[in-house]
Amino acid sequence: MVALDASRLLPRFRGVPLAWRNLFANKRRLLRSSAGIAFAALLMMVQLGFEQGFFDASLSAVRALDGDLFVFSAYKYRFGTRDPIEHGELDKVRAVAGIASAEPLYADWQEFFWTSPIDGKPYLVRVFAFDPGAPAVFSLSGIKDQQALLKNDDAVLVDRRARAFLGMDADAKETDLNGERVQIAGSFALGPDFMSDGTVVMNDRLFAKLLPGNRDSAANLPIEAIVIKLRPGESASTVQSALRAALPDTSTVMTKAEAVDFERKFQEELSSAGPIFWLGAIVGFVVGMLISYQVIYTDLSDQLPQYATLKAIGYKTSYLVRSVLGQAALSGLAGYVPAWLLCIAAYRIIGAFALLPLHMTSRLTVLTLGLTLGMCLLAAALAVRRVIAADPAEIF
Amino acid sequence: MNLSFLLRAPVLAWRILSHEKGRAVLATTGVFIAILLVFIELGFFIAVPQGGMLVYDHLRFDLLLCSKNYAFQAEPWQFPRARLSDAAKAPGVARVTPLYFAGAKWQEPRGGDRLDAFVIGFDPAADPFAVADIERQAPALARRDTMLVDNATRSIFGPISAGTEVLLDNHKVTIGGDYTLGTGFLGMAVAVMSEANFFRLFAPRTAELVNLGLITLTPGSNPGVAADALAKALPNDVQILTRDALKQHEDKYWTTRTSVGLIFGSGLIISFIVGIMVLYQTLATQIARHLPQFATLKAIGYGDLYLAAVVMIESAMIVLVAFVPAAAAALAIYAQLRSATLLPVVLTPTRLVAVLVITLLMSAASAFLSLSNLRRADPADVF
Repeated sequence: MVALDASRLLPRFRGVPLAWRNLFANKRRLLRSSAGIAFAALLMMVQLGFEQGFFDASLSAVRALDGDLFVFSAYKYRFGTRDPIEHGELDKVRAVAGIASAEPLYADWQEFFWTSPIDGKPYLVRVFAFDPGAPAVFSLSGIKDQQALLKNDDAVLVDRRARAFLGMDADAKETDLNGERVQIAGSFALGPDFMSDGTVVMNDRLFAKLLPGNRDSAANLPIEAIVIKLRPGESASTVQSALRAALPDTSTVMTKAEAVDFERKFQEELSSAGPIFWLGAIVGFVVGMLISYQVIYTDLSDQLPQYATLKAIGYKTSYLVRSVLGQAALSGLAGYVPAWLLCIAAYRIIGAFALLPLHMTSRLTVLTLGLTLGMCLLAAALAVRRVIAADPAEIF
Repeated sequence: MNLSFLLRAPVLAWRILSHEKGRAVLATTGVFIAILLVFIELGFFIAVPQGGMLVYDHLRFDLLLCSKNYAFQAEPWQFPRARLSDAAKAPGVARVTPLYFAGAKWQEPRGGDRLDAFVIGFDPAADPFAVADIERQAPALARRDTMLVDNATRSIFGPISAGTEVLLDNHKVTIGGDYTLGTGFLGMAVAVMSEANFFRLFAPRTAELVNLGLITLTPGSNPGVAADALAKALPNDVQILTRDALKQHEDKYWTTRTSVGLIFGSGLIISFIVGIMVLYQTLATQIARHLPQFATLKAIGYGDLYLAAVVMIESAMIVLVAFVPAAAAALAIYAQLRSATLLPVVLTPTRLVAVLVITLLMSAASAFLSLSNLRRADPADVF
């Protein structure tokens, strides 16, 4: 099966599958070279996986929102920061045609301190709050299906993927939040991001009670987003334009895709995580190229008389070059496949400890396969000059 | 086996290595990259916890007074000012200085995004910052609604030249000048201002709740002893940290509380493995190439052990030759990292030696792995 797939990458044979034969001529060397290439590929996969994991972690909260359209403050530069919308906007939104529901999402990132059941110390957490009797604002399982539990005044849902020191995955049934006792009614799995170590979800009345400052009624609560669901059959862009017309320019209206994109752009521009991991991936590429070059160079040196003989009996240089490139691509694949499998295990282990969403996506698979083949082919292209220069008359 | 025979092993290793120059250069380049990889990953591993110490490295104090709930610099919690005045009366304490931290929304007056900035309020007369730019600009700090801005503040915050006006939590504040310290893990923008301006901006906050207390001891006092004495004298809602204890606390926070340690730690481990692979690949190739020579040596009476020593020495030679340029390149990369992050990423002699030892271990491991090739060198087979 592998042979069948790989054979498509080979140059067209004239009787002898030269690349294939050369590759398997020395099994020990094949094992050695593919182990080297595999680790270089693994290094690239892990580094790029981290990069993707960081982005995914920072996007997970926005992705968990359950709406077709969202209203945010126009001054917000990212979702995870305090910048509330004027309260009057909610009525304006609800008056727009085509909307099935428009619910306020209250949130805070700086003022809620969760007493960890583990060490009894208070830690800053992210808090989301909403009216549990209204249509869901989160699509995340654990929040959406347990929303009814939040109707109890002191009940909260916690993130069981929060950082371990918060003790949210423990069996604790209650703890303190901003000095008030709260009951842990259930949990969901969201995970931390750069800023927040853990997340607590509650109803809007409890949020009003616990938020520091004199907020006597829900009317004073900071609405960080209005989560809008459309009536079936309504066009998002039509309603979006209607909302833009109805709202002052201190608010902005985004589709889900736009909201995710907005967050991604912020991370791309300001986070230093991207360049750090790309640097690691580039080093992996260079290392892989060197390993690959060494393998091919040695092989070509050893086989130079044979290549010269092939030339002498009439094989064209272009055929031999294609054969070398094919062999490089094959050895790249031979390293890539075990690296890919190993990486899935590495993602599981590191992801569980670092609480990062590390997944072998099709994007990562294609990207790292491209890089692995690229490094092998580049190395082959550099080494192949020897074959081009091989002169039958000189060799013997 | 006499001495001169043993002494010939390095010579033999060198001859084998230098026999084919191009090949030796290739092998050394591979090892060079592998060592550089270890240096780079180590640099990140060091740099990140250093971000936690950056601001402390530029503050004058012997002991830090902070809440028992202190998590890290940007999440220090707070404590009553009375603790600090009590500490000031303790024997051995020369003076105490409070620091106040706040987050503020930063907006350019023409509108645009409201970005998060980190603001530090302090008493310029107490001179807590060991930053020349801040000390030099004390007159600017004395002006009403004026602040100094860290020049590592990200560019999306707009120009930070002296005289620029910005809105902080909707109050107009003038930038009096900038300074070089580095934002570390405090945020994307950091500004310092006098206590008077700080409490005007963040009203109704008062000076009664302090975020961090800097304690300076009289000359000759032992910080450890003084810290213990203060911890006993003060209520247990606060803790006293020496500089060493603080560094340990911040390192521990960044390497264990966050995923930073794990991410760069795993990068470091993978870089070791890749390094060993490259070395092994190189050595195994070398041995395979010289199998006839090794077989000949065997045939004329050299033992397996002796040839193993030759391979080990050859491997160590490659590593040593590659190590020098790798260390030089690492110095350049660390300098880049320093100027980009302002973190004190330094290649200390200890770290240099540590990497050297690690790479020598890697070379020994890979030489050991490649010895199996050597044992196959059978004079009868080769020819």
